Amino acid sequence: MTDLPASSAGSATGVSEPATRATEKPMRERLVRLADHFKREWQIYVMLAPMIIWFLLFLYKPMYGLQIAFKDYSIFRGIVESPWVGWEHFETLFNNSQFLRAVKNTVIISALSLIFGFPVPIFLALMFNEILHALYRRTCQTIVYLPHFISTVIIAGIVITAFSPSAGIVNTIIGWLGIEPVYFLTKPEWFRPIFIGSGIWQEAGFSSIIFLAAIAGVNPSLYESAVVDGASRWQMMWKITIPSIMPTIIIMLIIRIGNLMEVGFELIILLYQPATYQTADVINTFIYRQGLQSGQYDLAAAAGLFNAVVAFVLVMTANSISKRVSRTSLW
Amino acid sequence: MSAVVLKDIYKRFGAVQVVHGINLDVAAHEFVVLVGPSGCGKSTTLRMIAGLEEISEGSLTIDDRAMNRVAPKDRDVAMVFQNYALYPHLNVADNIAFGLRIRRMKKDVIARSIIEVAEILGLTEYLDRRPADLSGGQRQRVAMGRAIVRHPKVFLFDEPLSNLDAKLRAQMRAEIRRLHNRLGVTSIYVTHDQVEAMTLADRIVVMNDGRIEQVGTPMDLFMNPVSTFVAGFIGSPPMNQFTGTLESDAEGASVTIGGARISLPDTVPSDPGRDVIIGIRPEYVSLAAGEASSPVAIKLDLVEPLGSEALLHAAIGEDPFIIKAETFGDVSHLSGLTEVHVPAAMVKVFDAATGRVLNRAAG
Repeated sequence: MTDLPASSAGSATGVSEPATRATEKPMRERLVRLADHFKREWQIYVMLAPMIIWFLLFLYKPMYGLQIAFKDYSIFRGIVESPWVGWEHFETLFNNSQFLRAVKNTVIISALSLIFGFPVPIFLALMFNEILHALYRRTCQTIVYLPHFISTVIIAGIVITAFSPSAGIVNTIIGWLGIEPVYFLTKPEWFRPIFIGSGIWQEAGFSSIIFLAAIAGVNPSLYESAVVDGASRWQMMWKITIPSIMPTIIIMLIIRIGNLMEVGFELIILLYQPATYQTADVINTFIYRQGLQSGQYDLAAAAGLFNAVVAFVLVMTANSISKRVSRTSLW
Repeated sequence: MSAVVLKDIYKRFGAVQVVHGINLDVAAHEFVVLVGPSGCGKSTTLRMIAGLEEISEGSLTIDDRAMNRVAPKDRDVAMVFQNYALYPHLNVADNIAFGLRIRRMKKDVIARSIIEVAEILGLTEYLDRRPADLSGGQRQRVAMGRAIVRHPKVFLFDEPLSNLDAKLRAQMRAEIRRLHNRLGVTSIYVTHDQVEAMTLADRIVVMNDGRIEQVGTPMDLFMNPVSTFVAGFIGSPPMNQFTGTLESDAEGASVTIGGARISLPDTVPSDPGRDVIIGIRPEYVSLAAGEASSPVAIKLDLVEPLGSEALLHAAIGEDPFIIKAETFGDVSHLSGLTEVHVPAAMVKVFDAATGRVLNRAAG
């Protein structure tokens, strides 16, 4: 190796030093600006504090416990004292047919919910926007918002009753058509449609509020201009309303993709039974059974961490694709 | 032939009446500006012509065809909105073509029209850009492009320049007028800016509180305002107004303001003792004595140099008095000014009770 001449060495450091100073200076300036802003607008930071504390306590502090996914965890030894086992739990998970089935079910149920459930609130919002009679519109909105405010347990009760083979309305109706009663909730092939359908029924109305708000934000002049240009209501919906709320649709889609691995497991736990595990068991119900019912916290933590990493990758991917394709993104 | 005729037009929103029986004939190829303060009903009138608001009472015809029950799209009008109303998700070309595509015109016709309009408005190099990537002036041009591409019978402009800064507004004002001269389409333009009205219009319609105060050419309105409202609205700075009582002697009619006797034109009806408001345009006050002018003692408060002119803020007695004087850049001689001269022929006299002019034909 050849020694650099003194002048070259000097220039080499000379290049890096100002660069370091250049990055340091804005950082210092930024900190000074932040301090100034804090002094000036301290009330805003005080108002923000409860939310930040909530996040730290309930979302960030529990992350400390994630390490048990890599340990042979024992509640008697605690997190720190439990020995490290590396990727052992992940290997166990990926060799466990129940876990792989849960992953598959999660992906299928999420994807079907996304395909069938995501457009419904948009459609509802567009329809509400087209209803001109205020009282009629409010009545329709109340009817579709209402299921959101019903407890999941009651929703499950309604679903179980509706699909009951003896007194359920569904079997009564198909009975009129001369078809034998079906015990839907014990049939694996019926679980997903029932689960997804009841999810849409419960949440689509309430989810439409955000799209209605986006529609309300569309500049009324755009419609007036289109009216003068000769656009029909249908054309205005397709050419103005939908493109105008597209950023909101994309943001909601990204959020939804980020939650793709989070299937609403309360309703599944309330509706599924061993006969339908084949199509109903998802990662979260698997974690619930392994972690809480079987006491395998470390294995459940590994499954949860896997779930979170996949969700993180999905949301990052969706965000970056959206940014490139539509100029709309979460960050 | 009148292109647009409004006859006894009323507009009511529930129990509130905002337009009170407007009558207006707009001739073909004419550029008419509706001007007035906020809430005077000018935009509502324009929207009724466009079909965006229903007409409560009265009749509207465009090219002799009754329009009250005709949908906006069938009125053959195009409107330029205050906030441009450009579709943010479409680029300039698609924004311009929107109305043509809605009408399912042929693709090659649309493409030709876009190029033609873009050339007229200097938008050729921006056709692929979205509105968010354009300046205010460029957006305004796109909005106009969307209107002219359809070759409508009537252009309607609803305060299209009010979102622009002063310099750009002046530039766009000239462009709109040039465009009108070139295309010759009947245009109705709403603004609250009297400078825009004066510079753009063939005729100005001054509106106040849902009624037409006066219709006339810009110079007619400037020289012969029919009311104190028009006198105060048209002209910048507005006409000075003083209240007084008519006097009459051998030298003719006069009014005494702040101790100064101001001679009035011969056209003022002799009615001594009548309460009147006299109006003096800041531009018509003379610094030097002239024939048939009244000397008036003033207290000069402030001189605002404007380049070749200056605005002098003074007072006659306790009443403020603004004078616009030609200075050719030198205001040094104005500091000691104590007296100005008001030519009798240039004084407008209004009835104090009604605010209506008493010497209409003068000036």
